[in-house]
Amino acid sequence: MTERPKVIEKPDVLEQPDILKPQPPAPLVTFPIEVVVPEVRQQTPAVGQRATRADGRLHGLGQTKYIDDMYFPNMLFAKIKRAGIASAHIKSIDTKEAEAMPGVIAVITGRDIPCNSFGPSLKDQPVLADKRVFHAGDGVAAVAAVTEQIATEALEKIKVEYEPITPVLDPLESLKLETPGVHAPSSNIYGHKVIKKGDVEKAFAESDRVFEGTFRTQMVEHVPLEPYACIAQWDANGRVTVYSTLGRITLGRADVARTLGIPMSRIRIVATVVGGNFGGKNEIRAEPAMALLSKKTGRPVKCVFTRAEEFTSSTTRHPLIMDYKTGVTKQGKILGRKIRLVLDGGAYCSWSETTLGKACILSAGPYNIENLYAEAFVVYTNKTMTGAMRGFGAPQVCFAYESHMDDIAKALGIDPLEIRLLNAFDEGSLSPTSQKLHSVVVKESLLRAAKRFGWNGIGNGGNGNGA
Amino acid sequence: MVNVTLKVNGETRSASVPPETTLLRLLRDQFNLTGAKLGCDVGDCGACTVIVDSKPVNSCLMLVGQVEGREVLTIEGLANADHLHPLQKLFEHFGSLQCGFCGPGVIISAKALLDENPDPSTEEIRDALGGNLCRCTGYTKMIEAIKGASCILRGEEVPAVKSA
Repeated sequence: MTERPKVIEKPDVLEQPDILKPQPPAPLVTFPIEVVVPEVRQQTPAVGQRATRADGRLHGLGQTKYIDDMYFPNMLFAKIKRAGIASAHIKSIDTKEAEAMPGVIAVITGRDIPCNSFGPSLKDQPVLADKRVFHAGDGVAAVAAVTEQIATEALEKIKVEYEPITPVLDPLESLKLETPGVHAPSSNIYGHKVIKKGDVEKAFAESDRVFEGTFRTQMVEHVPLEPYACIAQWDANGRVTVYSTLGRITLGRADVARTLGIPMSRIRIVATVVGGNFGGKNEIRAEPAMALLSKKTGRPVKCVFTRAEEFTSSTTRHPLIMDYKTGVTKQGKILGRKIRLVLDGGAYCSWSETTLGKACILSAGPYNIENLYAEAFVVYTNKTMTGAMRGFGAPQVCFAYESHMDDIAKALGIDPLEIRLLNAFDEGSLSPTSQKLHSVVVKESLLRAAKRFGWNGIGNGGNGNGA
Repeated sequence: MVNVTLKVNGETRSASVPPETTLLRLLRDQFNLTGAKLGCDVGDCGACTVIVDSKPVNSCLMLVGQVEGREVLTIEGLANADHLHPLQKLFEHFGSLQCGFCGPGVIISAKALLDENPDPSTEEIRDALGGNLCRCTGYTKMIEAIKGASCILRGEEVPAVKSA
């Protein structure tokens, strides 16, 4: 048993701010409220304090302008026709009937996009699918009309002829070399990482017990309350202004320049207030299509995704299949761990490389493990693309290694807290990639948490559920 | 097209709109009141909540034909240029909103609750916010702000808040 560090207690009650003192019963409160702005480099006692936001008042008044709250004179409303089929060749797209509808001003397809590919790392995403559909949420045409309703109705009039292709849906199937490539002729494995430390097979041979487990997580959508939205305005000088909810506007600007085939100096991206991002608004979606509709019509064009499109046609969190094998002593000390991660990347790369790297580095958990072999693959499937989402792969592996730790503790008859205290990082521990770690308080945090919710260990009056 | 006349934030307003227009679209597109938000358009998220005749409703599910002659209160009607409602003041003070998109709907739901029940319990507040989704901050700070506002409205001291 390791020595338990001292827990520093914090006061339970914060000092009462003046604003909360009794006030006269008048239902309305007078402006202005004093706002204290700290000096540059002034150390503020932020930790343990509540924070207010500079824009908090406008939010509460309903005066914050998100993209859907903006209107420009003569503006058109755009909708995107979705493929609705996971994998197919596009044989033809007939937009004539939609174009003839009263109120429809312009229709574009993938063939109108000057350079129909983009992406944060691999340039594998089309703005609108032209020859091939890679997942059901792919856009195949975009309509600009005088009202959103007319645009929506026009989508029904667009006739697309598909030649279906058997989709690849299972990431483990996709991993096999004989499986047809989603983006043939390339292999479905588009990212790979290995972290090796010590000799894991030797460690297993020296272990008292070796445990194995497979853990899976599902696809998760960010569901920002504000659906994806943008407004594009192409002016007569050949410059385009895009109002965007993007979290990374400089990257977005480069992607818009690439897809439109015009220099970045002609593109202005205005970052608006974002109604929730969580990683789901980190790359362009319909911006180039809206810019082209604006160019074609000479009018500003707005596009707001429906909630359904937000699920099918924006990025999601990678589902992971995680195989763990861990060798331990009878006391629960980890001697070696071997991990294989398979990330389901969906149809496009997006931020998969970042996710792959972070998941792999963190997959061993916050534990001192001398012998480690972690290998991660990310594969294409004909499903909604996966990308950045809070933690970039960290939550998935955390679920796996902590579940695995609980399984090991249970089998050895050790308290789940004790097995973590026995193996957890200390000040100066080396990470799996040999980074020296500082400000390490894993054990202190665990002990404080255990004390707060009265953990007595399984079989000692605790409920054994961890909370 | 149908003609509709109703009272919005104390003012009589009229419009001529297609019959499938929702109250939310009427407020946003015809009256330029963009405080109520379109989050899901199917009544799940509550970002479009407004008060109709003292009851909170999802305005994305109400058609214009249902609001003829009725009284609607939106977030814009809660404050004027000089005054904040205690709910708005405490939501700001407690940092109850992050991206803010759910905020107008949450505050309107809270207002409807406090109009009916001036001293709600935590459970009653949770229940009143049952139809309002938040993805950023969570509900703890909203509940504290609503409790605080109920105290201010009753002329009582706002109780101390426990640290995290």
